[in-house]
Amino acid sequence: MKVSVQFWSYFKDLTGSENTEVELAEGATIAALRSELQDRFPKLKEMERSTLIAVGVEYQPLDFQLNDGDEVSFFPPVQGG
Amino acid sequence: MTRELIISPDPIDEAALTAKRVMSDGMGAAITFSGVVRGAEGNDSISAIDYEAFHEMAEHQFNKLFDTIAERWPIESVRLVHRTGVVKVNEPSLWVEIVSPHRPEAFAACQWLIDAMKKVVPIWKRPIGTD
Repeated sequence: MKVSVQFWSYFKDLTGSENTEVELAEGATIAALRSELQDRFPKLKEMERSTLIAVGVEYQPLDFQLNDGDEVSFFPPVQGG
Repeated sequence: MTRELIISPDPIDEAALTAKRVMSDGMGAAITFSGVVRGAEGNDSISAIDYEAFHEMAEHQFNKLFDTIAERWPIESVRLVHRTGVVKVNEPSLWVEIVSPHRPEAFAACQWLIDAMKKVVPIWKRPIGTD
């Protein structure tokens, strides 16, 4: 299956891109996606503890099972106001 | 509870927003909060902050917070405006209004909303230096 990933804020600088696509095994979790992205963009690994992850418009935990076509967002802590 | 949410690059016109306030006869408190860009981030002087929003998710998360307010306090209305893009020092980036029967719930809801927003609403800031 394939999921799309969008990076926000300075994660765009860390990865050098706004978005990417990742092929994953059926039933893969967010943890598997994160591991794949960390291999592809090593600077993301350094930010692991400061990374928020959403699928669509909802935050999801690392054991969340992804589906084909999901839109996943990776971003640093929010700073509104 | 009525709600109004605006996430926009347009400047926040506080006077115009206040002029549009609607309160029913039973309401005795209307409080507003303006979050204004400071001239420094840490030890560095800045001229502005560039706000970036994940618009669709920010709207969704704000509405979830409004749902919680409606459950927790007897609030008649919430209006919130958050700017995106470049906001200069001394200009408001955030404006919140809460209308309720009495002041304690208005202050409590406003404080809670802003604290919660800073944890879950996907908006980020990038300071712009003075050079």
